[in-house]
Amino acid sequence: MTAAVLPAAPSAAHRGDPLIAFRGVSLSLGGRLILEDIDLDMRRREFICVVGPSGCGKTTLLRLIAGLLHPDKGEVVYDGKPVTAPASDIALIFQDYSKALLPWRTASGNVSLAFEARSLPKAERPARIAALLDKVGLKQHADKYPIQLSGGMQQRLQIARCLAQEPSVLLMDEPFGALDAMTRQVLQDEVLRIAESAGTSVFFVTHDLEEAIYLGDRVIAMSPNPGRVTEVFDVPLPRPRNQLTTREHPEFLRLRRELFDFIQESEIEQTAIEESKA
Amino acid sequence: MRKIRDMGRASVSKKTERALWSVASVAVGLAIIGLWQYIAWQKYVSPVFLPGPDRAWSALLEGFESGALTERTLATVERMAYGWVLASVLGVAIGALIGSSRVARQYLGPTLEFIRPLPASAMIPVAIAFFGLTKSMVLGVIAFGSIWPMLLATIHGFASVEPRLIEVARVLKLTRLEFIFKIALPNSMPDIFAAMRLGLTIALILSVVGEILAFQGGLGSHILEASRSFRSAELFAGVILLGIIGLLSNLALGALESRLLRWRSQ
Amino acid sequence: MKGLVVPVTLVLVAELCARLFGITSDSLASPSQIIAAAVGIVADGSLFTMTGQTLFAAVVGLAIGGGLGLVMAILLGLIQPLARLMHFSVEAFRPIPAIAILPIMLMIYGFGYRMEIAIIAFACFWPVLIIGQAAVSGIEPRLIEVSKVLGLTFLGRVTKIVLPAALPRLFVAFRLAAAVSLIVAVTVEIAMNPQGLGYELMAAQSSLRPEVMFAILLWVGLIGWGLNAFLLYAQNRLFGFAGKLEVPR
Repeated sequence: MTAAVLPAAPSAAHRGDPLIAFRGVSLSLGGRLILEDIDLDMRRREFICVVGPSGCGKTTLLRLIAGLLHPDKGEVVYDGKPVTAPASDIALIFQDYSKALLPWRTASGNVSLAFEARSLPKAERPARIAALLDKVGLKQHADKYPIQLSGGMQQRLQIARCLAQEPSVLLMDEPFGALDAMTRQVLQDEVLRIAESAGTSVFFVTHDLEEAIYLGDRVIAMSPNPGRVTEVFDVPLPRPRNQLTTREHPEFLRLRRELFDFIQESEIEQTAIEESKA
Repeated sequence: MRKIRDMGRASVSKKTERALWSVASVAVGLAIIGLWQYIAWQKYVSPVFLPGPDRAWSALLEGFESGALTERTLATVERMAYGWVLASVLGVAIGALIGSSRVARQYLGPTLEFIRPLPASAMIPVAIAFFGLTKSMVLGVIAFGSIWPMLLATIHGFASVEPRLIEVARVLKLTRLEFIFKIALPNSMPDIFAAMRLGLTIALILSVVGEILAFQGGLGSHILEASRSFRSAELFAGVILLGIIGLLSNLALGALESRLLRWRSQ
Repeated sequence: MKGLVVPVTLVLVAELCARLFGITSDSLASPSQIIAAAVGIVADGSLFTMTGQTLFAAVVGLAIGGGLGLVMAILLGLIQPLARLMHFSVEAFRPIPAIAILPIMLMIYGFGYRMEIAIIAFACFWPVLIIGQAAVSGIEPRLIEVSKVLGLTFLGRVTKIVLPAALPRLFVAFRLAAAVSLIVAVTVEIAMNPQGLGYELMAAQSSLRPEVMFAILLWVGLIGWGLNAFLLYAQNRLFGFAGKLEVPR
């Protein structure tokens, strides 16, 4: 689109340049304004969490980065170039994991799909599939069909398939929302581990405020109608994170309070706006 | 420990219970045959119309020993199989073509929906008009009649791919061909299999009708001739044989289906 | 509307070809000839007669076969031991194609209504039995318990609880059987019985009047489609989502 704005599209290898940037992005879907004038930067190896009430367009942000949607105004830039189509090194993890898996393939088969799409030589696949399944803790379940796996295992399988893309960016759409608390915590730590070891940048959408603070380097709070970025919080908590100690850290508690107040205020504001419209 | 053992015992007795019921139901089946035999003996119905199972059975055996029935059975089965395979391949192929294009679905869908309830046998006079009373006419009618379930099932399967999977395909940048073979077709498999079963039934029926009309040999002609000369035992033997063909082909397909569709349920 | 584009185009092309090339054929007819023939058989009442013959046989066969199937479905659906005992016999007789019964009925009844109705009844019996049995045995067991606690007689239970509860799925079975009755009727007439739409189809072909043949063919298609569409509409009106076989959880 407006590639001329960026001088000769330099690679964003320079630490300063953002890996992903939203520049004045607006998008309407079905006649409704979903996102309005979004400006956002995401750096390499950063873990960004996005929170906000339903309808604030968090999922739409993900889809824009993934290239599944295109902005009406403004542009989404990835690695210096505007996003026009899905990039092979951006992986998207859906919330409804069971629908994103191929029910007729085993766990190995599902992971294999990503390799097939990349035309990886057949001989290399078995070893790499096994390694990935091992990484997400599904080694014993390689020959099981999705219907035989629990919710947590299915989500892990989806993560494995996304990792097969060797992504530079992981987009995660409320991935743990449908899972029980224990599984959620286990998977949170696994995502942190994977992101750290592979140097992956993560864009994580969630409803859960504590989850956002626990995982992220920055938390972006959005408001709905229309969706816009209202506040960005820095999360200066030490890494590696720990389910027990980090969640008791004074900084965690302070941020939690701040975020909670903020969400509450924006909800009150929302209600006021709606009532004034009525 | 004890609880598990008790559970084990309960499941064993459930198995034997089920086996007993199966035996009992077979016994009931045999009793019905016995009743049939009794009616035949007592001549409550004229033996011209209702042969006893004994006569039907001996007619069956004789037919196979002399080779007459063997030949005809094979002719019918062959016809049915060829027609059905042809219909399946064409049905899935054309269905995939139409199904993978939304435009095609929109333009052709209603026409297909209109043709679907049309009795396949109604195309027989048209086929005779074009091809005459030949073997290939019968084959053509069988294929034409049995293609619809597979065709429509493939289109439906393609149209009902989980939208999430379509997005996964986009994110993974699958080509159109890859999408058809790796996602759309496997997704349609359950529907296609159900359709193939129906198609098989239709193929058998059309084979028989074709044989009755065109005198192409096979069991259809056989039972017609038998009825015309009031040879009820041979007639019943033929009917039973047709039932067996229907049963076995369905079972075979069902076994194949549960093997290939293992992923649907444990 | 998009759906009409293809058929209308084909018809126009066919008409054009027929006029341009002036083909006369024993097996083809132009759309205008077909329409003329259709008007003809409506005007002289023959379409009415043949339709009546086919529909009469279909309806009576459906009533008998469907009725018996329904009774059996209720019995087998409610009395589980009976269902288990009959399982083998049902599975043994079910695969017999209705058309195979034709020579038997021909032998017994000769040509005419009775033979056709008997075959249609046989064909309609099975889908109603199989689907109906599943419908009845799939009724919420709680409802059956309620009927027992209320002290209803067997007949009372059937009419007040079983039938209403199973009605949506029973209607689906009925829809299927209705389609079967029409198809079997036409098939029997094509194969053997000298009456009704099927027979007239064959007669038109063998007397080399393709325009009449195609006219009747279109009419048969229209009846089949119309019947299906009507029953589907009725199902949605009466039962809404409950008519679907698989109730989403």
